[in-house]
Amino acid sequence: MIRRAVLIVLGLIWLGPTYLLLVNASRPADSYDPSRAWAPPGDFSLVTNFLRALDSADLGASLGSTALYSVVSPALGVLVGALAGYTIVVLRLRHGFWWFLLIFGGTVFPAQMLLVPLFVGYSDAGLYDSRLGMILIYTAINVPLAAFVLRNFYTGVAFSIFEAARMDGASTFRIFWRIYLPLSTSALAAVFILEFTFIWNDLIFGLTLTQTAEVRPVMTALAGLMTDVYAGTPVPVGLAAGLVVSLPTVVLFLATQRLFARGLSLGSV
Amino acid sequence: MLGRFRYGYVAPAALLVAGLLYAPFVWTAYLSLTRYDGLAPAEWVGPANFVKLLDDPVLLTSVRNTLIWVIGTMVLPVGLGLLVAVLSYDIKGGGWYRLPFMLPYALSGAGLALVWSPILSHDGVANNLLGVDTAFLQEAPHNTIAMLLVWTWQQLGVNTLLFVVGLQSIPKEPIEAARLDGASGWQLFRHIIWPLMRPLTAVVVGLALVASLKTFDIVWVLTQGGPGRNSETLAVTMYKETFVASDYGYGSAVAVVLTVVTGLASYLYLRRQVR
Repeated sequence: MIRRAVLIVLGLIWLGPTYLLLVNASRPADSYDPSRAWAPPGDFSLVTNFLRALDSADLGASLGSTALYSVVSPALGVLVGALAGYTIVVLRLRHGFWWFLLIFGGTVFPAQMLLVPLFVGYSDAGLYDSRLGMILIYTAINVPLAAFVLRNFYTGVAFSIFEAARMDGASTFRIFWRIYLPLSTSALAAVFILEFTFIWNDLIFGLTLTQTAEVRPVMTALAGLMTDVYAGTPVPVGLAAGLVVSLPTVVLFLATQRLFARGLSLGSV
Repeated sequence: MLGRFRYGYVAPAALLVAGLLYAPFVWTAYLSLTRYDGLAPAEWVGPANFVKLLDDPVLLTSVRNTLIWVIGTMVLPVGLGLLVAVLSYDIKGGGWYRLPFMLPYALSGAGLALVWSPILSHDGVANNLLGVDTAFLQEAPHNTIAMLLVWTWQQLGVNTLLFVVGLQSIPKEPIEAARLDGASGWQLFRHIIWPLMRPLTAVVVGLALVASLKTFDIVWVLTQGGPGRNSETLAVTMYKETFVASDYGYGSAVAVVLTVVTGLASYLYLRRQVR
């Protein structure tokens, strides 16, 4: 009984800001009053507010770019990482463990250690402020985790499957594409979800490597809107933007909690 | 015979990682020993940037704030997360009790700032609710602690989730046996459950340790490290020295320090866990 009581009290505290977010994001933009923030909104204006944010901060273009980055990059990263894991484990690549260490070692660098060369190098190579550049770096960041998880996964798959397919004359790539990849759907999905969320929420690469609204990821654009919250954008408009932009990750996360947790704990060892 | 393309298969991964992660890493390490503004060629200055770091008051502040972040993260999002997990993992409808903590997790740093800046602002909800007039994000170290609380609001859920997954997968027999022997509550947790969930705790603490050392997003969007640079973390200091002050060499030196600290902490931590 005490357990439930503690959980309920803590839960109510936690719901407070969530409630404020929902209520005030739905409030007509000009009727926000800090001292009456808890009151229910009169009219439901979430959509109007969001459209206003889309318009004033050019969020639409950023949203499109972010959707592109957070689908394409994890998909590519997971494929490339899975192929590497397959080659190392199943095809028994010579010095495979060292290849694996090389690839997995990429996770240890903090983003800060990459920013200056990426900025300078991208500027020289014409990749600064380009969608291609963003996809490249986001993909590279996904590869180590994907390789790690899929290498572990393929270690657990019976080698006789591979041998039987070879007997039937299948090429190594075909075996990867038709047998190993479908076998590992759950592991692939766990990594994909984790990386989708990471890229959707990324701030720092967007801040450093982009400039125009079309290329800039949405969180970076949103962070830019923040300064406007003080400088005239009504609070409900800012909140509506934050709420709608967070919906994809909220839904994905709530729908796949377990898989998500698995991905997280897999990636950390 | 096993596929002539083996190196071709591993090449995309190796090239992406080498080209976009390792090469920049080495380049930054080199730049930390130069004076460089991004325009004129980098000029070799040896360890001068690191010498300058030693008596830079900004760096001292940012090390202090980073420490607050690390310690605070262990106590609040991780500690409280464990509490919520232990309280809820084996009761009926536990998932519903945990839902309030899960919702904020999917908000990004930028979304978080949008939610909390009207709460923490001068005429905001927090001041009204508490009946005070505090400048939550102004003075150090209060501003870092305020942001840490915001961070707790967001991060508690994921830690809880990880702990719950672990708690539900530990074997039932030892717990039943201990219950039969009359153990309950704190005793049961301390002597039976806690040792069984240790490997998982190691993962959660390790993740939180590394993430807290690299704290950037939330500080950047709520205070940009200010006012007067008093809420900067190492990651924010690096960004500002580089992209605001255009002192790429000095910024790179801060990045090197951050990397060494993160690496050292992970190493020491892992070594303790493995033993």
